Amino acid sequence: MNRKIVCFAGLKKFFGDETSVEVAPEESYANLLEKLGELNPEAKEVLTSCRIAVNEKFVPLDETINDQTTLFLIPPSSGG
Amino acid sequence: MKHIQNTAINYSELFDDFRHPHSGAVVLFSGEVRDNNKGRAVTHLEYEAYAPMANKMISEILEEAKSRFNLNQAACVHRVGRVEISGCAVVVITGSGHRKEAYDANRYIIDRVKNEVPIWKHEFFADGTSEWGQNCDCVGDDHHHHQHHHHYERAE
Repeated sequence: MNRKIVCFAGLKKFFGDETSVEVAPEESYANLLEKLGELNPEAKEVLTSCRIAVNEKFVPLDETINDQTTLFLIPPSSGG
Repeated sequence: MKHIQNTAINYSELFDDFRHPHSGAVVLFSGEVRDNNKGRAVTHLEYEAYAPMANKMISEILEEAKSRFNLNQAACVHRVGRVEISGCAVVVITGSGHRKEAYDANRYIIDRVKNEVPIWKHEFFADGTSEWGQNCDCVGDDHHHHQHHHHYERAE
């Protein structure tokens, strides 16, 4: 199943505004971050501090990816 | 959106609307754009947000601060888009019976907004380069009064 991933801020340099990754059943969000790192090894470092949001809520990375179509990849906050 | 705005923040107007008969103290913090960062001349900033989520999270942080510090009111607005030098990037206003709660709550709110809410700073430098802000700049700040949450925030 192909999952759409929306990217923000500095992540766009690596993946554009959005990207998609093929995900097998039972894979976790952490697996997805690994796949993104394989897609662009330069992004590996920042991916270690990224969070993933679904339905405007952060999800635990060890959880299995749910059926929502769009995932939001959230780099470390730098507001203020 | 109540807490995310792409036009100039008029904090004096917000402050004027903030009077409350039970409040003996009102504290206003304005985070403003500095013309330098880590020794480099800055020309302006641009902020990006995952706006619906940022708006919701700020609202939740304010509600939590109100009950934790027994505030009469709390407000926070963060800019998105381009902000010039000396422009207001974020404002936090807190009102309580006495000053301690208003000061403490104000610091609590701005720290959580900076560390947790999906908003990002893009810094533009005088030499024509630009950089996305990494993490928060709390290192070296007098920050030991509360625990740092950078990893805990990832909800692992």
